[in-house]
Amino acid sequence: MKRVLDYIVENRVLFLLVLFVALFVVFAVSVPGFFTFYNLTNMTQYGVELGLLALAEMLVILSGGGGIDLSVGSMLTIVAMIIGVLIGRVGLNPSLSILLGLFAGAGMGYLNGVLVSYTGILPFIVTLASLYIYKSLALIIAVDPRFGPNPMPVSNFPESFYFVGQYRIAGIPFQVLCIFIPVILLLWLLLEKSIFGRYLYGVGSNEKAALFSGINVCRVRVTVYTLSGILSALSGWIITSRIASARPDIGTGYELQAITIAVLGGVSIKGGEGSIGGVVLGIAIITLLYNGMQLAGIHQIWQLGSLGVVLVGSVLLNQVLLARRKI
Amino acid sequence: MTNTGFRKVLRRREFTVLGLIVVLVVLFSLTTERFMSVSNLSNLLLQLAGTAISAIGMTMVIITGGIDVSVGSTLGMASVVAGKLLVGGYSPFLVLLSALGAGLVIGLFNGTLIAFGNVPPIIVTLGMMSILRSLMYQLLGGRWISGIPPAIRVIGLGKWLGVPISMWITVVLIAFFTYFLSSRPLGRAIYAVGNNPEAARVSGIDLRRTTLFVYAVLGALAGFAGLVYVARTGIVQTNTGSGFELEVIAAVVLGGTSILGGRGTVIGSLLGAFLVGIIKNGMVLLNVPALSEGLVVGVLIILSVMIDVIRARGERS
Repeated sequence: MKRVLDYIVENRVLFLLVLFVALFVVFAVSVPGFFTFYNLTNMTQYGVELGLLALAEMLVILSGGGGIDLSVGSMLTIVAMIIGVLIGRVGLNPSLSILLGLFAGAGMGYLNGVLVSYTGILPFIVTLASLYIYKSLALIIAVDPRFGPNPMPVSNFPESFYFVGQYRIAGIPFQVLCIFIPVILLLWLLLEKSIFGRYLYGVGSNEKAALFSGINVCRVRVTVYTLSGILSALSGWIITSRIASARPDIGTGYELQAITIAVLGGVSIKGGEGSIGGVVLGIAIITLLYNGMQLAGIHQIWQLGSLGVVLVGSVLLNQVLLARRKI
Repeated sequence: MTNTGFRKVLRRREFTVLGLIVVLVVLFSLTTERFMSVSNLSNLLLQLAGTAISAIGMTMVIITGGIDVSVGSTLGMASVVAGKLLVGGYSPFLVLLSALGAGLVIGLFNGTLIAFGNVPPIIVTLGMMSILRSLMYQLLGGRWISGIPPAIRVIGLGKWLGVPISMWITVVLIAFFTYFLSSRPLGRAIYAVGNNPEAARVSGIDLRRTTLFVYAVLGALAGFAGLVYVARTGIVQTNTGSGFELEVIAAVVLGGTSILGGRGTVIGSLLGAFLVGIIKNGMVLLNVPALSEGLVVGVLIILSVMIDVIRARGERS
């Protein structure tokens, strides 16, 4: 028994898997309406938006050097507004608008990366500043001069725009099947099978050693922050399509939830440690938890509270068990 | 000799921030009529007090190499406690103790998990932030608290010699903690823990107690800031204090406290809080849309830190 316990503690992914199965069983037994095909597929669409942000945090935190991206929520918001304004107010072609939105996300992430890598300012500060800047820009974009000086949401989209966020293929939400799962697979290939992945873990766990072995540390970091921008942009597009509205406050508070999920998934805040499998399980656990609680009639505000308890509890349990084993 | 001493002052981060403040004050008083008016300045100080008080504790936490993103929720929770008791007719003194106590308990909880549970500060306080927000909702039941009795509002709105009482309290706290950090053994220990924990441990500093102490103090100060908030605005909502954590951290970082730990002063953080407050205030007076406030604050954070980085490079070469 003790050896099994040790193994679970040592292996974060297994620990999360046990937690996931336990939660699943509890909800399936105690919450009516949980264990149905409709509910199980339906809830996955809510995991996508936060999940993409958590994957973004994973990449950035892995790169070490205090890597963190506080601006994901703001980038999501600004991309949602760019897409919304281009389609709804300018009347641009939706595909082109979405493409421009994604480019904007990449650009903002790139800017974060360049500031982090080439100026020596810590990621925490750079992205705290860009959190403010991007959020503010999103508000400015949202102002429609025809209706006075206040930021306004955009909701007059053509029907075709809702495809990504509201349609299903074989009962599975489109964005899960055609965006989220491919993104996970691509990131898995990137982290586990590509040279870039080796570089990323190298840079994150020992920057000096990576530098001396000829890895371009700056380029690796710029790349992950750019990817973070792209993933946030994807999330902004999907959320706008799902709720059929681009709102200038949509991403507020997402950054901290995304970091929470990445850390819950076993990504070490010090960098260089963590796997995509763990983070995907982290996303699954949180999605499950939110859904189960909602079905059980617990107020939405407790989603946040439970997230906090799971986060602190899981890390604390890990530390306590680790400490006990050392004795 | 005096020349190098003078240069040392010039090189300090506090001086950069002070310079920026002076430039902005001159700029705003030339471009707007109302900036230098007594009512505007005291209004500015009123709004600053809560941030400045919490920034004192945040400075100490960041000096130890930690971070606390739950201050906004702590402030909110303390204001819920204070608001409920005030509306219930309890004596102001008891309310003061309860607000401080609520903050202190939260801080002790954070500190215990960080110091004794070995859980990284960002994780503990992220979790605490969400948990407190949910608890606040539970306590408020989705409603507001209003109708705060006027007696207590003196703390938030009252003035002495034209300066808000909350600002007087802030000044006293800043003076005390400046002395504490520079001259008391525990104050020095806070810097030592941030600079080199291993060396600090070997030289006999109790790392855990020091860590617990800074989070507890920050909690209590945020609790007090919560009371000041209730007294100033007269209203408590579920989202009271949300986003406040980033404001406080921005003030501390602008004031020159290194996020890596080991370096920083509470006076710097006070100046940082002033800088942000003056910019916000001036922009309102200049009729710049409030929307671009974040833009200016964000660019300012980057610029002021960049000045530091460039200066450090110059010194090295």
